[in-house]
Amino acid sequence: MARTALVIGALAAIVYPIPLQLQGTTYYQTVGFLVLLNAMLGIGWNVIGGWAGQFDFGPQVFFGIGAYTAALLYVKLGVDAWLGLVGGVAVAAVVCAVLTYPLTRLRGHYFAISTVAIWMIVQPIGSTWEYIGAAQGLFIPVKTHSTIVGAALALQFSGPTKALGYYYSALALFAVTLALMAWVERSKLGFYFRAIRDDQEAAEGIGIDSRLYKVIARSITAAVFAGGGVLYAFWALSVFPEQVFELNWSTLPIMATVVGGIGRLWGPVLGAAILIPISQIMSTMLGTGPLAGRGIDLIVYGLIIVVIAAFRPTGLLSLPWARWVRLERPAAA
Amino acid sequence: MATLLRLESSTKSFGGLLANRDVSLAIEAGEIVGLIGPNGAGKTTLFNCITGYMHPDAGRIVFDGHDITHTRPERICHAGVARTWQVVRAFGRMTALENVVCGALQRTNRIAEARARARELLEFTELHGRGDMPAATLTLADKKRLEIARALATRPKLLLLDEAMSGLTPIETAAAVTLVRRIHDEMAVTICVVEHVMEVVMPLSHRVVVLDYGVKIADGAPDAVVRDEQVIRAYLGERRAHR
Repeated sequence: MARTALVIGALAAIVYPIPLQLQGTTYYQTVGFLVLLNAMLGIGWNVIGGWAGQFDFGPQVFFGIGAYTAALLYVKLGVDAWLGLVGGVAVAAVVCAVLTYPLTRLRGHYFAISTVAIWMIVQPIGSTWEYIGAAQGLFIPVKTHSTIVGAALALQFSGPTKALGYYYSALALFAVTLALMAWVERSKLGFYFRAIRDDQEAAEGIGIDSRLYKVIARSITAAVFAGGGVLYAFWALSVFPEQVFELNWSTLPIMATVVGGIGRLWGPVLGAAILIPISQIMSTMLGTGPLAGRGIDLIVYGLIIVVIAAFRPTGLLSLPWARWVRLERPAAA
Repeated sequence: MATLLRLESSTKSFGGLLANRDVSLAIEAGEIVGLIGPNGAGKTTLFNCITGYMHPDAGRIVFDGHDITHTRPERICHAGVARTWQVVRAFGRMTALENVVCGALQRTNRIAEARARARELLEFTELHGRGDMPAATLTLADKKRLEIARALATRPKLLLLDEAMSGLTPIETAAAVTLVRRIHDEMAVTICVVEHVMEVVMPLSHRVVVLDYGVKIADGAPDAVVRDEQVIRAYLGERRAHR
């Protein structure tokens, strides 16, 4: 049952952009790209926020660190995007571990506030440090590739297949993230994270080093955000401090996780698949015409999130889907 | 018999309140020791000091030859001490089985092996059949058993039970006493129980230690301790002791 759903979902994700591409549109591929990117970030945030139960409002710091690392490697040393991705992920995970260890002395609201504080410290550094381009940021020069394979290997798509290429790149990174986190969830790490979330003292009493495992959880989150940041940098062909350290890189994935189902592997996937298209529909429907420019689209978007959060705080995945799906079938057997 | 745990003049104060004053005691391997005393006598503080949640202001705690006076809780667990809690601390959103798996993972990295061990322990604590239930939905008696199963999964040499039987019905209490005896006999675990219910501690314990206002006032065989004048005074008050 779950396996069939997975296969159908995977096929749908692979086939989805093909008819659109044949029609010559690119808009929906970009929407798909944003859904996958935010779903991937949500899966990453779920590790620290959903499993380990520590509210982290500053993962966009590592989104930026990943983007900057890969862009710098590319611009200054000519290192390819995919190698840059490995570098960005590694740098973000290490920086996160060093920054987070002292924070793990704090709990609850205080931990959450400290993650915001680090973000506030990082922003001015990003916009004043000359070596990384300061406020001007970094531009990633395009090298045109004659073959699609060459473009894929360099993570640089251009022309009419640009949106399609980044859609499939995002799909690949999303799939890798999902598979890795599915493994983490079932491993010792997954058990320890949830034990710390449910009762930190009791977890320590059965031999779990709560500070160490909180650091591991947040570094995993940071690694996923860094991967997303690298993808975004090569999609946008630039890295600006206000752009990569933007608050939306944490609020959207967090909202997707909460709406879909916090602490559930597929929660952020469902949440992103609902929220991102709604925000796009809202801005195309209400963002133009007589009501344009008054933020009506954002108000309606916000209301939808409030309604879901108020009526199902444990997320849409926590609804009794299994019972409903079975109800549709004839009760013959 | 070898001494498993030794406290040397352990002292702990909270501001002006001396919760433990110069408490010295030893637990021998293979014993069941009862730790009793009126409310506020410092029993839980003593447990917290032994398990590393608090550190004594003065004195020394030695477990199995290692000084654990200033060691963190998870290290003390690795050394072989496990505990349960006066107010239950089950991992509420995980299933009963997963709770015990977390404990078993201290001694193995393989999930399948930890699961198998956890199933054995759920069987041992008579919680099989509740393995897939979220721990938060269990009854108090079952939560207390679950805590014991989770603690046993870490393969302790010394098990500290903090009021494992308080708040239970007489039938549940009797079952819990049987469980503690079985842990001692079948798993060869040394046990220290904090308990209010005298009818439970006295027949269960080989030796009883009494705390009052943070000071150890008696240490000996149960039948000697119940006749001790200081103990009677602590529990029943001045007038009765003089009668």
